[in-house]
Amino acid sequence: MAKIIHYRNKCIGCGICFEQQPELWRMSKKDGKATLVKAIAKKEIYVLAIGTHIEEPTREMAKACPVKIIKIV
Amino acid sequence: MKEKKVELLSPVGSFDCLQAAIKAGADSIYFGVEQLNMRTRSSGTFSVEDIKEISSICKAAAIKSFITLNTVMYEHDMQLLFSILKEVKLQGIDAVIAADFAVIEYCIQLGIPLHVSTQANITNIEAVQFYSRFSDLVVLARELTLKQVEHINKEIRRRNIVGVSGGLLQTEIFVHGALCMAVSGKCYLSLHSQNASANRGACVQNCRRPYKVTDTETNEELLIDNEYIMSPKDLCTINVLDQVIASAVDVLKIEGRSKGADYVYVVTKCYREAIDAVADGSYSAHKIAQWMKQLETVYNRGFWEGYYLGRDLGEWTSQPGSVATEKKIYTGKGSKYYPKIKVGEFVIESGTLKIGDTLMITGPSFGMVKEKLETLTVNGIEASIAVKGDKITFPFSSKVSAQDKLYKIVENIHG
Repeated sequence: MAKIIHYRNKCIGCGICFEQQPELWRMSKKDGKATLVKAIAKKEIYVLAIGTHIEEPTREMAKACPVKIIKIV
Repeated sequence: MKEKKVELLSPVGSFDCLQAAIKAGADSIYFGVEQLNMRTRSSGTFSVEDIKEISSICKAAAIKSFITLNTVMYEHDMQLLFSILKEVKLQGIDAVIAADFAVIEYCIQLGIPLHVSTQANITNIEAVQFYSRFSDLVVLARELTLKQVEHINKEIRRRNIVGVSGGLLQTEIFVHGALCMAVSGKCYLSLHSQNASANRGACVQNCRRPYKVTDTETNEELLIDNEYIMSPKDLCTINVLDQVIASAVDVLKIEGRSKGADYVYVVTKCYREAIDAVADGSYSAHKIAQWMKQLETVYNRGFWEGYYLGRDLGEWTSQPGSVATEKKIYTGKGSKYYPKIKVGEFVIESGTLKIGDTLMITGPSFGMVKEKLETLTVNGIEASIAVKGDKITFPFSSKVSAQDKLYKIVENIHG
């Protein structure tokens, strides 16, 4: 099963991840950055396991991140 | 009445740079926090919590501080924006530099002085008049000629255009630093190639790379004199600063919030001296040559006077990155300070150091210090060379901490 890793503190809040996958992301009103919903946080790094059926679109979404802080492993 | 001296505004991307700007004689500084500023990607930006310290350092040094909040703003940025502005108000930052109307609206609501950013591309007096309803200062577009700048300043006086505080509206122009290949704030190259919008501070600088032009029909490579076809040289006006000041502009701004304390110190110091020289009548070709030599030692892509003298855009750089005559090589970091004897201890983490080397030390408490290594003590014993892992000590006038970085300065030879 693939995982999304989000290095949140480097997020610039452009909102492209939320645009592409609103089911996975929210834009935080508090600090303007993207939040990976239901992810487990370790310090400022957020991890979420995803089903194989959404792996491909998630990889496409990660490619669109302008600051390359979303990794799929 | 004595004519008011033009104000020098320096860029600050770290506490090292802040101290460097103060030491070099800046009248004011500007900085960005979080992701809502145009150097989000390239600069280790400050956070909201840093605003208090920046403000108190600036107040103690009797200089003004301005915060840039000049990116494109989205709906989800509003709460962060508002909380930044509340802190700005609380800590008494002197003004906000912005172009987005949401920021302007919030500044009006909170009663925070506003400077209109160059991102608003103000190129004519009617636009100046429009923005005077909300601000006390407008940053004019970098694409104007000095004649156009002078005309705008004359018209402000003729029409008696006042800012919100009641004083004559002030104008500011960039005098030194990087230029965009596009009209500032209107470039989408980075967005198209990497989905990274320059207007959210995420520019990947496509324009700074070399390019080849190929005819796809014949596969023939077209001859061009310079592969850096989109990378303009840096703006430098120190050689025409008398004309710049004569245009009656109020504030001279230096670009470079992503650059190091060495750049901030050297550029600020040169322009400080040049402004003072214009004021006391000692501005001369000899002095200009000395300043140019100094400016060439820190990050630059080669210099031209930008659009101010009405020149065609055609001053392209010929190198990737900087053509500075000097290069800084990271060598180590601060470890201890002996205040009684004023000696600093540094740990060598890379390369070697020997007596006679020129050192540059940057740190959040003193900015930037450059000096020649006259004596060298390695692990407590006098020595002529220090290598990786060694602890070295030498006389140093400021307190040393682990945040201080030690560099060796070497001549930068370009191929």
